[in-house]
Amino acid sequence: MTSERMLDWVDGLGQDVIRRAARRAPAGLSERLEEEWLADFLERPGQFSRLRFAVGCCWATSVIAYNHRIAAVPVTGSASAQVNSFGLVQNNTPMVSRRTMTFLLVACLHAAALYALLVTVTKEVVHAPAPPLQNHVITEHRPVDVTSSLGPTIRDPVPIPQPPIDMPPIESESTEGAAVRVDDMSRNTAPTLTTTVNRVRGGPGAGFPIAEDFYPSGALFRGEQGIATVQACVDGMGRLISNPTLIQSTGSSRLDEAALRLAKAGSGHYRASTEDGHPVNSCYPFRIRFDLRN
Amino acid sequence: MGKQDREVRMSLQTMKVLEAFLENPTDQLSGAEVHRRSRLASGTLYPILLRLEAAGWFVSRWESIDPSSAGRPRRRLYRMTPTGLKRAGEVFASFSRGVFA
Repeated sequence: MTSERMLDWVDGLGQDVIRRAARRAPAGLSERLEEEWLADFLERPGQFSRLRFAVGCCWATSVIAYNHRIAAVPVTGSASAQVNSFGLVQNNTPMVSRRTMTFLLVACLHAAALYALLVTVTKEVVHAPAPPLQNHVITEHRPVDVTSSLGPTIRDPVPIPQPPIDMPPIESESTEGAAVRVDDMSRNTAPTLTTTVNRVRGGPGAGFPIAEDFYPSGALFRGEQGIATVQACVDGMGRLISNPTLIQSTGSSRLDEAALRLAKAGSGHYRASTEDGHPVNSCYPFRIRFDLRN
Repeated sequence: MGKQDREVRMSLQTMKVLEAFLENPTDQLSGAEVHRRSRLASGTLYPILLRLEAAGWFVSRWESIDPSSAGRPRRRLYRMTPTGLKRAGEVFASFSRGVFA
């Protein structure tokens, strides 16, 4: 087959496609569309363009027939008539076309599927490793100077060692001018406090929140963990009397903030320090461990 | 004319067709010429032309030739009606205001 015959064959095929397409058009439009499309077909340059045109006419027929059904208006007039009642034109044109509605529906379905996928993946990320978060509140048994922070509300139970005072004798003059020798004051120093107080330092008590409930999601995703040391000042009822402060960071600002939030939330659930069995105001540090255990 | 000035659902493709005619509103264009100006595919172009014609925005007529002597089929020529010209102007004006008619 020569190239010229090939081109003729393609033209013939295109015209045949157009004729078939036009025949499927609504009655009264078939002849008009066939002649119009054949004329326009011949004006297209190139066989490929013509074939595309012919295939497009098939689609155009479908659209025209569909719109004709929608309009539900009987077609009047002949192929040569200038007036036809063909129309997808409606007085009450909907705001959104059917095609747009379909597109939106498909887009919504895709969005829903994507959302479900993301939720599933997120749950797997959070729960699949199943890191049971461990809340270790480590109490440190260190002596705490409660007098410095609590002032007069704290009894002063700790015997303060008095440095030995060794002062030279002071001579003072009497009104009579006679020298009076004063004894060495070191012998008259205040009596050393020898009473010992049984102090038991407090800490997080029953009902104290657990770190798992305060584990920041951002830290979870990043696998951040660590131990924060927080100083809390509580009264005899186990309530905070001042804002807890961070003494030692976990290395993560998120976890540090979570530790402070946890310490605040624990107000009322602290175990008060006791002195001789009596609850007293006190400040003490404790550790909060944010741990992702594998 | 017997046609009513009816609302036409406006789309980007419809506006391209109108734009092709608004280059010179008195022109009578065949579908092939509208395609050259709007670059719309035939599957999109002809339904729009028929829709606008049904709405009274366009009128069409056959080319005044004898197909047998010309050796080709007659073209269908479309022209904007005064109503179509007015409505198309309104559409583009409201579009430029950000209000899609």
